[in-house]
Amino acid sequence: MQIAEPLQIAIDELSKLPTVGRKTAQRLAMHLLKSNTKDVENLVRAIGDLKTKLRFCRICFNLSVDEVCEVCKNPKRDHSTICVVEDINDVMAIEKTNEYNGLYHILGGVLSPLSGTGVESLKIKELMQRLENEKIKEVILALNPDTEGETTSLYIAKLIKPMEIKVSRIARGIPVGGDLEFTDEATIGRAVLGRIII
Amino acid sequence: MILRSILLKNFRIHQNTQVEFSDGINYIVGGNGQGKTSILEAVYYLCTTKGYNSVADGEVVSFNETFFEVSGTFRDLTENNLRIYYTLEDNRKYFFVDGKQIYRASSIIGKYPVVILTPEDHSITQGSPGDRRKFVDSVISQSSETYLQILLDYNRTLRQRSSLLAQIKESRDRSLLDQLDAWSQKLVQCGSELIKHRIRFVSEFNGYVNDSYNLIMSSAEQPSITYEYLEGNSLEGNGQETGKIEEQFTLLLEKKRDDELRRAVNLVGPHRDEFIFRINNMELKKYGSQGQNKTFQISLRFAQFFYLKDSLSKSPVFLMDDVFGELDTYRAQKISGYLQNLGQAFVTMTDFSNYSYLSRNQDDYLIKVHEGQAAYG
Ligand SMILES: [Zn+2]
Repeated sequence: MQIAEPLQIAIDELSKLPTVGRKTAQRLAMHLLKSNTKDVENLVRAIGDLKTKLRFCRICFNLSVDEVCEVCKNPKRDHSTICVVEDINDVMAIEKTNEYNGLYHILGGVLSPLSGTGVESLKIKELMQRLENEKIKEVILALNPDTEGETTSLYIAKLIKPMEIKVSRIARGIPVGGDLEFTDEATIGRAVLGRIII
Repeated sequence: MILRSILLKNFRIHQNTQVEFSDGINYIVGGNGQGKTSILEAVYYLCTTKGYNSVADGEVVSFNETFFEVSGTFRDLTENNLRIYYTLEDNRKYFFVDGKQIYRASSIIGKYPVVILTPEDHSITQGSPGDRRKFVDSVISQSSETYLQILLDYNRTLRQRSSLLAQIKESRDRSLLDQLDAWSQKLVQCGSELIKHRIRFVSEFNGYVNDSYNLIMSSAEQPSITYEYLEGNSLEGNGQETGKIEEQFTLLLEKKRDDELRRAVNLVGPHRDEFIFRINNMELKKYGSQGQNKTFQISLRFAQFFYLKDSLSKSPVFLMDDVFGELDTYRAQKISGYLQNLGQAFVTMTDFSNYSYLSRNQDDYLIKVHEGQAAYG
């Protein structure tokens, strides 16, 4: 069977995406082929912008168009509370609940000797600098309640302990081994509100 | 809980076998390799979604076939049909409850408790401490989802921590020690929970073992299980203080720290606990006779059955694979009488005619299996 090369390339590229198999890739490629040119150009630009227009916020490492992200810039948010999360998916999950009005700090992972992730590869040093320089009253550790997430919480809690800052951890409602990203919004909302002090 | 019927397709020697079961004892009789044990294995699949002895699913598919299927109807408060379908091509299993596909095996596991007694059980009393821990962990996990979660968390922590110990040993990087503290803290947290669960379990389970053992032997022999944890703590019976376990655990970790760093091995925690089985204060593994070992193994499984029945308020499915052949007439007679107390049970045997002394009720079934075909006798 011979397929025109551009179509074949498009199918190959699409099928590299997560959850997209060969069949779906083919269906998507055919759909794009039939769509009007304007729509396809918009999609291409949107995808390109992801890589060219976004960067990491200098303060919290959230995704941002500018040097400082929308959350950190917003004077209406509570600048005395930081919620520490593993990655950007967690920020999106918590933002969707509309229950949290403080700032974030994205670690970029959790401690895992097995996969070679130590303190140096996470934004922990940056978090400690923020706690020294900004007027922070409370840190909420919202890492996934799995083995590595909990150990990372223990590690950070111990670092913060000598400072006069309240440390709490989201606890209620999220099943052990559950992933924050896949837990429903109401549960995350309740969990952020019902945090416990550690 | 009663398993009313089962259907096996392309399951080992069974191309298409349908069996209706008795609510009492189902004696499944046949020669070697005729497919009697496969019926127990299929029941085990239905209850746990897995085969026992950790066989790969692919090995179960009949020669020259591409899939296997097991389905069965359980009766509890309601009747439910459970179907497991496995294809070699996808190398995955599909689960259906009452015709509807279930996407997480975890929503089936634990709903259909099962206890199995096999000749391999000899390792529980005669094998390594690890074999005894595995037995205890499997029983508590069946009765407590929480315990299973903590156990998985603990095992993951052990792997992470030993990886870190190895990194510290190799790099001699002292700055990694504060990360080790965090992993130690995690180890103490979940390890202490495991120990507390085990303490509670042993103090309850001893009574069950005692009852079973004495019903089989009706003698003055007194079986017991002692739980030894965190080097030098031991528990038999109840009333021990559990409040200080975290403290003891932490102290012992500090004591062993240099050793751990030098050897890069986790030296402290419930993965090193011991369960000591005794009869009349004599250690079974060291001094027990074959007969005493066998009786103890059988008592453990009966005890597991009644322990689960009480803690889950649901009668487990009881499977007994090829055990009568190993017993003297006296024990075999006792045990077959005891089986009548369990409700439903499934028992494989090589040849029924040699077992005329077994008690058999009116409503017990005799199922003869020959070349993958089942018939009633
Ligand atoms: Zn920011």
